[in-house]
Amino acid sequence: MNVRRVAVIVRKELTDAFRDKRAIYSLLIGSLVGPLLVTFMLRSIAQQQRGAQAIKIPVVGQKNAPLLVDWLGQQGGVEIVDGPADPEKAVRERVEDMVLVIPKDFAEDFDRAIPASVQLVSDTAQTASQAKVRRLRLLLQRYSAEIGSLRLVVRGVSPSIVNTLSIEDVEVSSAQQRAAPIFNLIPLFVILAAFTSAIQIATDSTAGERERGSLESLLLNPVPRMEIVIGKWLSAAISSAGGMTITLVLVTLALLLVPFEDLGIRFTFAPAQMGRLLLTVLPMALLAPALQVYLASFARTFKEAQQYMGYLIMVPMLGLMGGVVFPRAVGPWMAPIPILGQFELATEIIGGEAPSALAFGLAALSTFALAALFVWLTGRLFRSERLIVGR
Amino acid sequence: MIRVEGVRKQFGSVTAVDNVSFTAADGCVTGLLGPNGAGKTTTLRMIYGLIQPGGGSIDVDGAEVTADPQTAQSRMGALPDVAGLYPRLTSREHIEYFGRLRGMPETTLQANLSHWADTLGMADILDRRVAGFSHGERARVAIARALVHRPRNVLLDEPTNGLDVIATRAIRDVIRRLRAEGHCVVFSSHIMQEVSALCDRIVVIAQGRVVAEGAPDELRAQTGHENLEDAFVALTGLERLDR
Repeated sequence: MNVRRVAVIVRKELTDAFRDKRAIYSLLIGSLVGPLLVTFMLRSIAQQQRGAQAIKIPVVGQKNAPLLVDWLGQQGGVEIVDGPADPEKAVRERVEDMVLVIPKDFAEDFDRAIPASVQLVSDTAQTASQAKVRRLRLLLQRYSAEIGSLRLVVRGVSPSIVNTLSIEDVEVSSAQQRAAPIFNLIPLFVILAAFTSAIQIATDSTAGERERGSLESLLLNPVPRMEIVIGKWLSAAISSAGGMTITLVLVTLALLLVPFEDLGIRFTFAPAQMGRLLLTVLPMALLAPALQVYLASFARTFKEAQQYMGYLIMVPMLGLMGGVVFPRAVGPWMAPIPILGQFELATEIIGGEAPSALAFGLAALSTFALAALFVWLTGRLFRSERLIVGR
Repeated sequence: MIRVEGVRKQFGSVTAVDNVSFTAADGCVTGLLGPNGAGKTTTLRMIYGLIQPGGGSIDVDGAEVTADPQTAQSRMGALPDVAGLYPRLTSREHIEYFGRLRGMPETTLQANLSHWADTLGMADILDRRVAGFSHGERARVAIARALVHRPRNVLLDEPTNGLDVIATRAIRDVIRRLRAEGHCVVFSSHIMQEVSALCDRIVVIAQGRVVAEGAPDELRAQTGHENLEDAFVALTGLERLDR
């Protein structure tokens, strides 16, 4: 293989691609989506976490149950405010997360010891306010139980008689755990970037070249077809590696905006960790373009090729979806499988673990091998005359 | 010199080229004349090693195209039927790209580049991106790119197709110059005036076969038609198809 000739092709393809300003901008904007999404989701979990502890309770009809309102106001982190005129409208329009309505006959029922109703107005569809609603409900239940116990004591009955069960909540889910699936999105975005960043060159230098009619002239040069394919593949690979690096750097920067103390997580994404993550996923920059260049070589037009690229990107997506549907199946056995291996190892690294050199090597080797196979297949395709005369 | 001997090509059940033989000598312009779909482009594509002949042999200055396509390709320059350009590259970049792919030393490349820029009158378009070029400008870039290594053997597939008078003249001048310099030039066309004005030898192809070969005068004598167009129609049997 003549390295200088391959370099000539790489130089031309990169020059050509980087002059396509619109493609470059759309690529940059595309690579912002992942980091911003991860940051946004983590921040909103942190916000919910903060929000659940301190709640503001708008109460309508405070004078109907001054004792209850006083009791609520005495609980830690609770602030009582006047309720809106139309509670349901306020909640529906998300002016308030919830409203407690105490009807006029509350006092009368309460005094006669028949269940006095209060209304808790909330919107179940609004997930963000659920933690607050849950807290208010628990407070009300506690008040109810306390009053009930007092009534029994007054009548000379031990309150423990009515408590047939004593339920203790042992909460295993934590903010950390809720945050974990979001961290797992990071490898997905980085691996997706391997595909999206290479699409432009992979399609333009194959199907695009066929569509423009420049391929025939190119193939008239005394250059082995395999070198032409390797040049095009490497150009796409460079673009792919660039896109992955940019995405990873943006993720790292974006994570600086997440208040991890509110999530109760001690999360540090050190440069060394980022380097290891990049090294782990970087073999994808060789595989993704190899698959793309091969597929795009079957297409006669740029548009047709773009469509194939759309299907191809489902591959990493399906990988992650499989992990979500069968979380128990996820494990170190995936390491030697290209794409899945990178997912697994990247997830481990983000989780603060250090994957073994063996797993790392297996993932890289199998990915290189698959990439080489597809480059070879593309070379064979380029040698066949259906590339020229194929309809 | 290009020698084509008994070349055939089949696409599925269609015989595109059937036993075509001719020789294109140095210092001579050889025209492949034939109606659309006669097999001219397929024959040329086999000569420049783009598709494999189904039989026969093609020899370019002693290099067998099927056996050693790269040596044969290094001894020729070809302007194919469709010579698309890269819209985001300049004319200069097009020429340099192909020159470097051919492994030309940089000094030779630059010398040849200015030679073609002069010959084809490309000075004002050399450093412009080709997006938005006129037909004529595109044709100049395509020719300069194809002939950047100043090859001994030159193949042009309908080079004046769709061009205006000025661009057509420029290309005809190039063909005459190449002949004067002793190159072997093969070009295909379906335009009679062009072929009779430029060619030393004409190979008439119809339905994948060589139906006549010779100097323009010989063809006129052979068919008894004073007008080359009448001779062409008589040779290809097109008139019979029309009736």
